[in-house]
Amino acid sequence: MAIKLELVNLRKEYGALVAVNDMSLKVEEGETMALLGPSGCGKSTTLNMIVGLETPTSGDILIDGQSVSKIPVGRRNVGLVFQDYAVFTHMTVRGNMEYGLKVRKVGQREINQQVEKMASFVGLADKLHRKPAELSASEMQRVAIGRTLVTSPQILLLDEPLSNLESEMRHQMRRELHRIQLETKQTIIYVTHDQIEALSLAHRIAVMNLGVLQQYDTSYNVYHYPRSTFVGSFLGNPPMNFIKGTLKSAGGQRLIEQDGARIPLPSMKELAGVSDGAAVTVGIRAETADIVPLGSPGSFEAELFAIEPQGPEAVVTAKFANTLLKVVVPTSAVPKGSGSIALLPHANLLALFDTQSGVRLMNGAAS
Amino acid sequence: MSSQGRVAARGFNPNDKKYIGGLLITPIQILLTALLVFPFVLELILSFSEWSPVQGIGLWEAVGAVFTEDLDQGINYSVLITEEPRFLEALGRTALISVTSLVLEFLIGLGLATIFLKAFPAKRVFFTALLTPMMIMPVVVGYTWFMLLQYTGPVNQVIGWIGGSQPELQWLNTGFLAFFAVVITEVWHWTPLFFLILLSGLNAVPQNPIRAATVLGASDWRIFWSVVMPSMKGIIIIAFVIRGMEVIKLFDEIYLLTRGGPGTATETISLYLYKLAFEDFRLAYAGSAGFIVLIITVVLINVMLRPIRYQLLEKR
Amino acid sequence: MPPKRFTWYNGIGLTLALIFALFPVLWMISTSFKPSNEWVRQPPVWVSGDATVENYLTVLWPSALLEKRGGLTQYTEGGEQKVAEQTGVGGAVGDILNKSAWQAIWGSVILSVFGTALSIIVGLMAAISIARYRFGGNTTPFFILSGRMFPPIAIAIPFVVMFSDVGATDTYWGLILAYGAVTVPFSTWMLKSFIDDLPKEIEEAAMMDGMSRWGAHLRITLPLIKGGVIATTLFIFILNWSEFLFALILAYTKVSTIPVQLSKYFSATEGLLIGVQAALATVSIVPLVIVGFFIQKHLVRGLTLGAIKR
Repeated sequence: MAIKLELVNLRKEYGALVAVNDMSLKVEEGETMALLGPSGCGKSTTLNMIVGLETPTSGDILIDGQSVSKIPVGRRNVGLVFQDYAVFTHMTVRGNMEYGLKVRKVGQREINQQVEKMASFVGLADKLHRKPAELSASEMQRVAIGRTLVTSPQILLLDEPLSNLESEMRHQMRRELHRIQLETKQTIIYVTHDQIEALSLAHRIAVMNLGVLQQYDTSYNVYHYPRSTFVGSFLGNPPMNFIKGTLKSAGGQRLIEQDGARIPLPSMKELAGVSDGAAVTVGIRAETADIVPLGSPGSFEAELFAIEPQGPEAVVTAKFANTLLKVVVPTSAVPKGSGSIALLPHANLLALFDTQSGVRLMNGAAS
Repeated sequence: MSSQGRVAARGFNPNDKKYIGGLLITPIQILLTALLVFPFVLELILSFSEWSPVQGIGLWEAVGAVFTEDLDQGINYSVLITEEPRFLEALGRTALISVTSLVLEFLIGLGLATIFLKAFPAKRVFFTALLTPMMIMPVVVGYTWFMLLQYTGPVNQVIGWIGGSQPELQWLNTGFLAFFAVVITEVWHWTPLFFLILLSGLNAVPQNPIRAATVLGASDWRIFWSVVMPSMKGIIIIAFVIRGMEVIKLFDEIYLLTRGGPGTATETISLYLYKLAFEDFRLAYAGSAGFIVLIITVVLINVMLRPIRYQLLEKR
Repeated sequence: MPPKRFTWYNGIGLTLALIFALFPVLWMISTSFKPSNEWVRQPPVWVSGDATVENYLTVLWPSALLEKRGGLTQYTEGGEQKVAEQTGVGGAVGDILNKSAWQAIWGSVILSVFGTALSIIVGLMAAISIARYRFGGNTTPFFILSGRMFPPIAIAIPFVVMFSDVGATDTYWGLILAYGAVTVPFSTWMLKSFIDDLPKEIEEAAMMDGMSRWGAHLRITLPLIKGGVIATTLFIFILNWSEFLFALILAYTKVSTIPVQLSKYFSATEGLLIGVQAALATVSIVPLVIVGFFIQKHLVRGLTLGAIKR
């Protein structure tokens, strides 16, 4: 697959504030990439720089291998859908959808043809004469998407497209976006602060925090192999459990100790270069630990704290030393009564982080 | 709430909503009834007579005569409409001056407002300076332009510099030029208000549709006319209605500038009524004309206010 | 959108607008310092090389002017004729000059202050009634507004008839009533817009705590809209200070105002007293420009009856 978009050391400063800090990544043609992060992390600024609404302080943006830094906004042939849709409220649906084509001086017959095709594609064929005031939020969203898609942009950028919708509509619109994704094979860049949206729609996720790209990988890897405690905590519900402790050895077995309580570690390549006494944080995803009979090999003990049944599954909260852990287990596996339980993490999904930096300990060769 | 109910049971409650609301509105009702409604009714009655204070007949006698004596009632109205071209001309002239001034004020105000969307040095100083004309009272405005437009005044001199030779323009004594003198004065005085209203409107235009149009590739010019101006529609109507309400009353400036002259070249409806009533002392006749003007104004204002009635009344 | 650049033709437009806006004012001020032989001259004098404050003295301090000229030091009823000749101005005109400028200034001050007070008190009560009790629905506010919509001259005609019938013409109280009635629609609407900005819940909370409605309005509403009341007061003051028509037709000799005085100089002399008029005009706009500057951000609200609030 060809590389559609490439960001090279992209940087944006506002005075002393670094909104985007030397960000580099590549997006393949036809892929959907999610820019995920808390608000103020620089994701919208990145989006605006790609579109051309903001000028980078340094770095470059390449589309199809060509730098677009010198091309003014509006000539880059990229489409942006705004969070608040930004439909032209005084124009009909048709007027909105025609706008980009009229700007491009397409003939009226061609315009009508394309607009009608696009209207039925986004499900607004019978509403072309309506004014936005008569439309629902999700219909306005469709107008905004249709208005952009009809100009056949190289890249479709969506800024928080679902956050102004109610939850019912949000599900429906997510399916709709999925359909658009499949049918148009558009390269899509999708800005969101909602990890579920990112995980369900994107092929790749770029997690950002405080202007810095934390991890850029496939959705699967970002979820299962977080590169930092930030990524681990930002994705997943409940978020990843973190247990801070000291690395030790006992009888050839490496383990993490916190206030005398111990978690035995499986044999991991990452541990090779780390010596005993290092401050290490163990990361365990809520659904990657099983409740096993007390004393099972590789398990560790924790005090049962609370149980929240959620239908087929239950969230079990347990206290290990002075850390509360949440694990999600099938309802059938929920322990009865109270007292100690034993937890067995899935060895291959266990993550170790350097406590100080929050960065994942990697196998020397791989990192 | 319960204490309110108890007091209400006794019949009178100083804390009652209706009572307070009514009491607070009373002074303005009295003031406006005495000084607005009453004269208005008086005017209506007198307009059916031919009374003038110089006839030596008292006011109440004249009022009584309207009801008791067999006057040719309504003659004032038929004369005004059929035999008095000056009245209809004054109406037309007022409309012409109003429309010309408002259009010019709108265009200049809009141009200035768009400049003030950009950044430039000493913006605040320019802003305040440009508002100056609006703060000056109409009489002084009229007088100042009277000085400027003198035959020997600086306006002629500057035109002379540009044109090469001294033009001998009798601004205030030539019908056509006097009309323009009035318009220029009015435009000078009130363009700042248009500018202020339009600037506040431009600043309130939502930014994302503009950005959306930008990303779609539209030029600034196209964005201005296809996105910005349509969303300014409400505020533009407000500006025209508010200024329209004022400009049809135009009197002070013209009184000092030309007194409606030369001849009747700048005689607006207000000046016409003034001359009838206070130079010719034909009070009843002027009252009839005034009454027609009132009716026209009421209809006109109601039509003009319709689109902004909601905005004026509702909290936003 | 990338910020749009300020272009050279923007600069030219702005400069022309600035000249257009300020030149007339500057000309008036410049003229007020011209000696009488430069008032009308071909070509016109832009800035006098021979600037004098005599125009101001004529308006504000005629006796000092006489002293300066070595003329009569006595300023008495009998001396007026000669006094006027000494100032270079003919008979009846001199009479107007020496007596009336201060009478006009004084009249303007009294009428503006009391007319404004009347307008604000009555307007504030009405504004609370409309904003908080919706008294009279939509009809009352528009009835009040109608007072401002009619051409004042159409109202003025029967007004004069009525006023002379009750002996209210040429009196301060009569004119104060007239000024109040003319400006009360503006004060009501402007104050109403300030009260509308204030959440009703604030008063309701106070009433929950046992305060009466009156108490809530006096001790909660009023202090919170204090800034708005001040702005409205200054705005109404500007309107009253500028009022011309009603003073012109209702005041004759005992009461005068600056605008009327300005128009009288004009009519009596057909432009001869240009410099003196300019001096009085300059004096009269000083309070307006100062007050206007202070309430700059509220001017739009006032002039648009609260429709635009920025």
